[in-house]
Amino acid sequence: MRHRVLIWLIAAATVAATAHSVTPTVKAQAQARRTPDLQGVWRAWNLAKYDLEDHGAKPGVPAGRGFVVDPADGRIPYKPEALAKRTMNYEGTKTLDPVKSSDPFVKCYLPGIPRMTYLGWPFQIIQTPEEVTFVYEWAHKKRVVPVDNKTPVPTDDGGAWMGYARGHYDGNSLVVNVTNFNPYTWYDMAGNYHSDALQVVERYTPMNADTLQYEATMTDSKVFTRPWTIRMTIQRQKDIGLLDYECTAMLDDLGIDHTWPRDFDENN
Amino acid sequence: MNTRTHVLLSSAASLVMFAAASMPITGQGGGEIGRPGGLANVDGQVKSTGPAGPIPKRPDGHPDLTGTWNGSPGGVTHTVILEEHPPGFGVLGGKSLIIDPKDGIIPYQPRALEERDRRRDDANGYEDQVGHCEFYDIGRIHSFTQEYMFVGSTFVINATQHITRIVPMDGRPHLPPGIRLWLGDPVGHWEGDTLVVDSTNFNDRTRMSLGGDFHGADAHIVERFQMVDANTIRWTMTIDNPKVFARPWTMTSPAPMKRIKAVPDFDIEDTCHEGNVDLVHLKNTYYQAHGKDAKPKYGTDTAIRR
Repeated sequence: MRHRVLIWLIAAATVAATAHSVTPTVKAQAQARRTPDLQGVWRAWNLAKYDLEDHGAKPGVPAGRGFVVDPADGRIPYKPEALAKRTMNYEGTKTLDPVKSSDPFVKCYLPGIPRMTYLGWPFQIIQTPEEVTFVYEWAHKKRVVPVDNKTPVPTDDGGAWMGYARGHYDGNSLVVNVTNFNPYTWYDMAGNYHSDALQVVERYTPMNADTLQYEATMTDSKVFTRPWTIRMTIQRQKDIGLLDYECTAMLDDLGIDHTWPRDFDENN
Repeated sequence: MNTRTHVLLSSAASLVMFAAASMPITGQGGGEIGRPGGLANVDGQVKSTGPAGPIPKRPDGHPDLTGTWNGSPGGVTHTVILEEHPPGFGVLGGKSLIIDPKDGIIPYQPRALEERDRRRDDANGYEDQVGHCEFYDIGRIHSFTQEYMFVGSTFVINATQHITRIVPMDGRPHLPPGIRLWLGDPVGHWEGDTLVVDSTNFNDRTRMSLGGDFHGADAHIVERFQMVDANTIRWTMTIDNPKVFARPWTMTSPAPMKRIKAVPDFDIEDTCHEGNVDLVHLKNTYYQAHGKDAKPKYGTDTAIRR
């Protein structure tokens, strides 16, 4: 009798232990089946880095179509009073001296989102159940985006070059909400810009094994009359993994000291 | 507000690097300066994970190194001078990290030792790449907090600043010699239960310590990650580079890496250059010592390299 109880207890314990260890795995697998696989090395190789709008040829820049799909006219919906700054921004890029350029990217400052995506340098996506990591070849930068819906966004006034990102899966897409930007980054080499009120919603959707569709919707009531959206495809880079582009070392190579004043607050 | 954070971070990267590197991590209340950023609960709140259990295994039977690891347990950081040295000038004293040769001295070739000493001169501190917000070297990374994970057949090391090492474990060959990288091209494999990372294809720009130690572009570096128990990893790095060193030599981290329960802080940016205003002091020191037309040397002396 005693033995039988013991055996029963052992059996119960085994079942309990098995159930305990299997359940999370099954859950994880089910979760994995529902979420798109975005892993790999990707590269957006298009004209978006020059100008998100339709544009004619400019020095070193091929003419081409823009990437704004909403509004339908393909133009970024600037408030009338905000357009002058875009023009001033572009005029300020007409110099060969990186330190004098008005484009923050030329000084090797973090390019922000979405500009980082279509700079032309590859990036790698690494997925775990809790987070999606974007590793960018440009200056080895990375973003770790929690997708657990549990990580609160900090409430400080901060303002970050790349914003604070929180992701979730929506059907076959990874959606990343990015908030808390600082006002210092641009969208492209044409001087398109935003304020610290910017909010970006990114959407990564696999189209086939080697193509992602990338959408980004920008909302910024200080600069734009309405939200606007860009769309482009991103190709899988198959021949080689991530390499190096240490931007500030390129300044060293050009004989440029990095010691110019950082005058963000004065300019903005 | 945020700009102020950048300034502090850049300070860590440049002028106060010496002090920051030698400060015990547990003693930095606010934690921006010298903080191995990117992970919360690192400064002053390191939580031990209790008694070590058996070494966790991956499905393939090899040790599972997944987790967050403190490269400076007990607050020991050691990125200033690799050999045994007395305390002074803001630098904590320390034992040599060199475990082979037995004397703890890096076996530089005579010509390379001259270059190391030139770099160690305070007047040349401006040349250290870290003050320019550029990449650390493999050795210095291992005194930071790091996150290890396996993604498919790839071993990923997520470290502070802007360091992510993606190590393929599929037996692929190294990159062709024309491609040179700051941390080299890492390829991993298992030797028994030890994870081995073999790196070549370096560039000639990394310094291994603020004390001016360096290797050349043709260095061959082999790292070994050995789990001692569930909460401890012993890491060693062997460098073979005959043009710079008389023989291969091996270093380790100041103490074995310890597992910590750290909550990743996703919102600490990899900023440094954006607020790097204190580099001007190192620059001024450099040009005062060498004259205003001097050209900083960012690469290895070409006579050593080729």
